[in-house]
Amino acid sequence: MRFIELRLSAAISLLLTAAQIFWASPLRAATNPRSGGTLRVELHAASVSLDPREWQAGSLESATSEKMAALVFERLVELDNYGRFQPLLATEWSHDASSKRWQFIIRGGVKFSDGTALTAANVVTALQPLLPSTQQISPSGNVIVIQSSVPVPDLLEQIASGPYFVYRVLPGGQLAGTGPFVLGEAPVASANTAAVTRAHLYFRANEDAWSGRPFVDGIDVLLGVPPLRAMFDLQLGKADLAELAPDLVPRARQSNLRIWTSEPVTLYALRFDDAQNSASSSDARLREALSLSIDRGTMANVLLQRQAEPAAALLPQWLSGYAFLFNVDANLERAKELHRAISANATAGADMLRLCVDLPGDLPKLLGERVAVNARQASMVVQVVSRAAADAPGGVHLFAWHYSSLSSRSELDSLFAAYNLSEAPEMNATSTDHEQLYERERRVLEDRRVLPLVVQAESVGLGATVRDWMPARWGQWHLADVWLDLPATAPSALSNTFSNAPNAATPGVQSVTPLRTPAPGAKP
Amino acid sequence: MSFRTKLFFIFSVSVLASVSLVAYGVTHYTQASFEELDAQRTEALVTQFKSEYAQRGEEVLQQVKNIAGSEASIRTAIELSRPNPDQSLFVHDARGAAEDHGLDYLEIVNSDGTLISSYQYSARVGYKDDLFSTPQDWNESTFFLRREELPDGVALSLTAVRTAPDTQKPIYFVGGRKLDQNFLSSLVLPSGMRTLLYGNLEPSFSAASLIDANGTVQQADRFESLIQAVQMQPKPLVKTIEWSNNAADAETFHAIPLPGRNNELLGVLLVGSSRRELVLLTRHILQIAAVVAGAALLVGLLISLWVSARITRPLEELAEGAHKVASGRWDTVIELRGRDEIGQLASAFNEMTQTLATQREQLVQTERVAAWRELARRLAHELRNPLFPLQITVENLQKARQLDAKQFLEVFNESTATLRAELANLNTIVGRFSDFSKMPAPHFSRLNVNEALRNAVRLFEPQFNAVGKPPVIPEYFLTEPLPEIDADADLLHRAFQNLVLNALDAMPAGGTLTMRTSEHEGSVRIEVSDTGKGLTPEECSRLFTPYYTTKVQGTGLGLAIIQSVVSDHHGTISVSSDEGRGTTFRIELPQRQTLQPAPAPTETLAEKKPPQDSQSITVAASD
Repeated sequence: MRFIELRLSAAISLLLTAAQIFWASPLRAATNPRSGGTLRVELHAASVSLDPREWQAGSLESATSEKMAALVFERLVELDNYGRFQPLLATEWSHDASSKRWQFIIRGGVKFSDGTALTAANVVTALQPLLPSTQQISPSGNVIVIQSSVPVPDLLEQIASGPYFVYRVLPGGQLAGTGPFVLGEAPVASANTAAVTRAHLYFRANEDAWSGRPFVDGIDVLLGVPPLRAMFDLQLGKADLAELAPDLVPRARQSNLRIWTSEPVTLYALRFDDAQNSASSSDARLREALSLSIDRGTMANVLLQRQAEPAAALLPQWLSGYAFLFNVDANLERAKELHRAISANATAGADMLRLCVDLPGDLPKLLGERVAVNARQASMVVQVVSRAAADAPGGVHLFAWHYSSLSSRSELDSLFAAYNLSEAPEMNATSTDHEQLYERERRVLEDRRVLPLVVQAESVGLGATVRDWMPARWGQWHLADVWLDLPATAPSALSNTFSNAPNAATPGVQSVTPLRTPAPGAKP
Repeated sequence: MSFRTKLFFIFSVSVLASVSLVAYGVTHYTQASFEELDAQRTEALVTQFKSEYAQRGEEVLQQVKNIAGSEASIRTAIELSRPNPDQSLFVHDARGAAEDHGLDYLEIVNSDGTLISSYQYSARVGYKDDLFSTPQDWNESTFFLRREELPDGVALSLTAVRTAPDTQKPIYFVGGRKLDQNFLSSLVLPSGMRTLLYGNLEPSFSAASLIDANGTVQQADRFESLIQAVQMQPKPLVKTIEWSNNAADAETFHAIPLPGRNNELLGVLLVGSSRRELVLLTRHILQIAAVVAGAALLVGLLISLWVSARITRPLEELAEGAHKVASGRWDTVIELRGRDEIGQLASAFNEMTQTLATQREQLVQTERVAAWRELARRLAHELRNPLFPLQITVENLQKARQLDAKQFLEVFNESTATLRAELANLNTIVGRFSDFSKMPAPHFSRLNVNEALRNAVRLFEPQFNAVGKPPVIPEYFLTEPLPEIDADADLLHRAFQNLVLNALDAMPAGGTLTMRTSEHEGSVRIEVSDTGKGLTPEECSRLFTPYYTTKVQGTGLGLAIIQSVVSDHHGTISVSSDEGRGTTFRIELPQRQTLQPAPAPTETLAEKKPPQDSQSITVAASD
């Protein structure tokens, strides 16, 4: 079967390549973006929530939800790929010398999808539940003021990422946004958008978007698509954009699919539970022995097919800038030596660790098993168990953490808070200084309560017709800028329709639009 | 136990033993036959398993060959043969190939033994596979049993290894299939049989490693000893496991060791055969055997009864005849039945009784003569004593005729006085004999024995403290209240008088006269003891003989009268004596007299074992 699939995929790839060559030829060259069509997106997540208030920091589900929410909602500012903050719903901003008081001027003429105008009060109402308790937000005309009890020089990084979207809660509980898309009127579209668990999500273009109408008429999102099927759909032209599992990326590349890979955005790490977090020397040595036994290089390069990097730090290099200072090369001999010392003083079976892998998918399980195999090389016994069998204390947990904030301080705070990683009292938890952040992270890592394994990048497969795919390298998609290079006549093989898409009746290409038409006051 | 019973018992045991032996023989032979049949059946199953095992192994081998020879594998091998290949590109290749070829396990191993891809355990990629530590031409190898490491433990697999052809560096394809419950369930088994597989993958016995066609085996710990025995010595073993008290629930398991590539014990196949059919059949045969044996036993018992009765009847007649002889019927004659040993015994018995009767008659005659002689002697003795003074007196009187009248008168008066006295003495003697001969028949009435005894003793109180004689001290130890008895008051008074008189005579130097009464098992016991010089054993033995006396003045009738009275009251009298210490007479009288008339008194002398230094004589006056 697999060889048949391979042959089939090779043939399809050949066809696609030929088609690509044809469409890319001077005869068919399209230098100007086109408007129209439905972008078909396939995601692994089975459900998403568009309510930022429900997102859990670091969770993989929230990462997908954030991507979908970015279609409907907008933030005050955004960070471009050159590291510059660009205005979105805030046109100007300033702060005092201590960086405790920040002032944002709200863009005028912006309307929510229900037609109501954006006000500073809307912004305050939306952001107040999302901001940390040390930050208070208040309106003042078309200005909002964020007052913090501690200096927040990285406030822009903070609100340019994560859940800090501006939304308006409608009387029915739905959320209205100012983004380029509106959640389509699917049969359950009127339901509370806070808990969308449908297989399909349809986002139609917001004709009244202040930043201009997006190029595509709509985005049809298919949820819960298995990784292999997503790749096949991409190869067969049934999808324009699909998440790719890391183990499929090499195959997708072999099939000449267009692959985009982000910076590493998901951390896989081990966390010792409270019973193993004691300060006793045997537990510390056990944690050190396990850490030294793990071959992170093979995990990243072989098991994750080079779609990840060995992780020695909690935050990735692109986010913190100091991750290269950490180093945890495997040292099997030292690990054995430590284990021997532990075994000599421990009762039989006391040094056995239970590694609980309660994450969905095959990848976490594979990583857990690799940890067990590595540990066995150091004569340690690690038993990989699922969530159901992990009730007994005294174990280790494999967890995944998706970086959602562009502020390394904020990300570190969230990570520490999520896993109860206590810090020394003398540490300044509010500092954004890199040295201070490095010191905070170093102390936690030296205690080996958390053992980073790998940081995995996000890979997206692109269809041949997708143009101007320009996401942020940390994983934010900008689907409003994407346009589809579709033929003038309705193609058969590369049909761009879904039978159940609301706009399926009138797909195709509209008249050529030179540029995405910005609304008055649009961003420069 | 009678002889007939014994004989019947012996016959019965013989019959029972014979029947049991035959039943056991039949059962044992039947069971042995079935055991052999069962063993043959098991052997067939083992052969079938080996055949299936080989077939599965060949299938695995063929699939691995196919994988190794496939285009994709060759391409992989070529890619890996290039300098610095990116092995991560092939990390998932094993999965597809294994699924396509229906293998449970597949590993792709580099030429240096490094695992490139593993279907069953992807996390092991990058590690060396021990299988390739020594070079070998794997394309010539056959399948083998392997200990397969899995993320969640270890398992047994039928494994084969092949290399991709025509490549610079060999790429190994190690494929296998689980040896699990699916494999066991695919075996076609006769009814009542099952197969179990133990994966010898842990250092010690693990119940979870034992599976059958349905999965985990219940009560797997019952197999521990069998498994351990095979582990210690890998050779086929047999063990029967009883699952309950019912023998039909037992199973016989044949344990067959399954070696690995290096002959290490990797698994144990257990072929179980239910003993239900065998046990039920054996039970059925046993039931039939029991019925037949029971019938045979019953018939045998009846025959034994008849035979023992036939054999013992003459003996019983002999015993009955002997009892009759013992009871005095000397004329008993046994009917003769045949001329065998029993007949001869009966004839001898008849001759014996005839001889005894004749000798008894002669003995009676002799005793009668002796009694008359004794009577004559006693009479002569008693009469001679007064006759001699009479003769002297008469002679003195004749001589006195020559004296003057005065002297004659004096002699005459003296002589007549002497004559009168001696004649009175003669009269007394004759009266005593007359009294003995005139012992009247008793007239029973309720009597207080203590009172009768006191009255009898009271008559002699003047003699106890007679002037010029040593005193005799009477002592009473009488049980009060003592039950009244049926007795003739006069006769008993007379007997008690004689006893007291004898005691006084035995204590000329004074002493203590002790009277005791007590109740004893439906009778009343009277004891009269003196502290005289006692009696010798000979005197004791003759004491109750009529006319025998140890006294100078005695007639020898006193104790004879006592014995006569006791006999008439159906009681017993005995005497015990310690020489030099005294004598005790003990009378036991029944509280109630039967209405039957007393038979002719017979005297049986029964000797009780006397205490040390004492003599005891009991005279039982009874029928």
